[in-house]
Amino acid sequence: MKNLTFSTFLTSNLSITPSDLDPVLSKAKSLEVRKDAFLLQEGEKCKYSFYVEKGLLRQYMLDAKGKEHIISFGPEGWIISDRESVFFNQPSKFFIQALEDCTIKLIDDSLVRLISEKVPSFVDFNTRLLHNHIRALQNRIIQLMSFTAEERYLEFIALYPDIMLRVPQTMVASYLGIAPESLSRVRKDLANKNFNKKHTSYLT
Amino acid sequence: MTTKSVELVASPREPHFVGDGFRVHNFIPSGFRLDMERMDPFIMLDYNSKFKFAPSARPKGVGVHPHRGFETVTIAYQGKVEHHDSSGGGGVISEGDVQWMTAASGVLHKEFHEKEWSKEGGDFQMVQLWVNLPAKDKMSKPKYQAIENASIAKVPLVNKGGEIEVIAGEYKGVKGTATTFTPINMLNVKLNQGAKAEFEMPASYNTGLLVIEGSILVNGTTKGPTNHFVLMANDGEQFTIEATDDAIVLVLGGEPINEPIAAHGPFVMNTREEIVQAFEDFNKGKFGFLED
Repeated sequence: MKNLTFSTFLTSNLSITPSDLDPVLSKAKSLEVRKDAFLLQEGEKCKYSFYVEKGLLRQYMLDAKGKEHIISFGPEGWIISDRESVFFNQPSKFFIQALEDCTIKLIDDSLVRLISEKVPSFVDFNTRLLHNHIRALQNRIIQLMSFTAEERYLEFIALYPDIMLRVPQTMVASYLGIAPESLSRVRKDLANKNFNKKHTSYLT
Repeated sequence: MTTKSVELVASPREPHFVGDGFRVHNFIPSGFRLDMERMDPFIMLDYNSKFKFAPSARPKGVGVHPHRGFETVTIAYQGKVEHHDSSGGGGVISEGDVQWMTAASGVLHKEFHEKEWSKEGGDFQMVQLWVNLPAKDKMSKPKYQAIENASIAKVPLVNKGGEIEVIAGEYKGVKGTATTFTPINMLNVKLNQGAKAEFEMPASYNTGLLVIEGSILVNGTTKGPTNHFVLMANDGEQFTIEATDDAIVLVLGGEPINEPIAAHGPFVMNTREEIVQAFEDFNKGKFGFLED
């Protein structure tokens, strides 16, 4: 929820000190983007993975009718990318957009190579990140295929505790693959279940 | 008694919009040397300086959002705001009124320009403050104090120099209207040109003056222009405000709570764990439900 620099992300996961890592990371490109700016648009080739140090990204696609479908949100500490476009050098199907003013670290092959040379354990860590990503995608497929709207919402708030307060509900509904009205109903049902009126009967 | 001196005079920061209905300068916590700890128990101050809103059939404002761990105080100088909350309550805050909402364990609310006012548009000028709660009261029951202007205690100044509205605390023995959890003075000071008023508060009170209208001289020497915030040092008990032209000044003084502050978005607690809990409770509907 707070700023999480790429350096902190790496040093807290690898046995290396910031002072050892900083000479390598000084070669990494950083980007300051304003709210609403695009880091990637449909049809472009994605050249980077975007590590979010501050702010919030979303990755989405437009269907044939122009409706938005949000694939993922990227708050602080997340990496957002179109891996198909980067790895297979394909034009992207996705848009990656800043939902808040953001500070982004750009990760490309050369940076990965530099870090791997400096910290050999990064190779395993990077593989772990990839598998973690695949696991998240698998879980998301299962949820979209078989979970109720409420179950999807509960998974969502566990994964992204503060996003409900950072984006419009329509975007969360898009991510969950449900209608905004369904999200509203789910939240209302949860409130009916969990809201203790005894502790809030306060009105004049 | 010694003089409480001026520590600094903060000019208004670039305004930003809260929702689409409040165009505010933030003074606390992002103003120069005005972080939450420095102004404790006043942990947020947004000032919507006088701004003309065009007529709008759709009332502008801020949609549903939660609060936990503190109180919000809205002081209306011009314009009208309508609010609703997750317990089904609501009301209108009009010119001169004060709404003191103790969010405490948690409320959901929304605030919009009052429907009829919005259709006409006009000058809008308001202050919103967040007042921190001590740890023992952060999870207490939420409550409202809807304070209409007529019920605010008023102290007239000599020689028709103006009057002082005692929103909270006291002025010259007159008690304020609002009840507070910790010692706070909140005074709306209306001075005619040339008039002067004296104030007394303990040196420990974090104290500041927001110049709403006109301009002032503090302690006879320091200028406080319109829309500026004068931060007083914690070095004495007495200070004076003199109006160099007709002026309105919001005087804030409060005993610091001096507890750890963990703040994220609309939640202000004492620890990070409590913040995480607040997000979870909000996500799971424990603040109730309110239609957008």
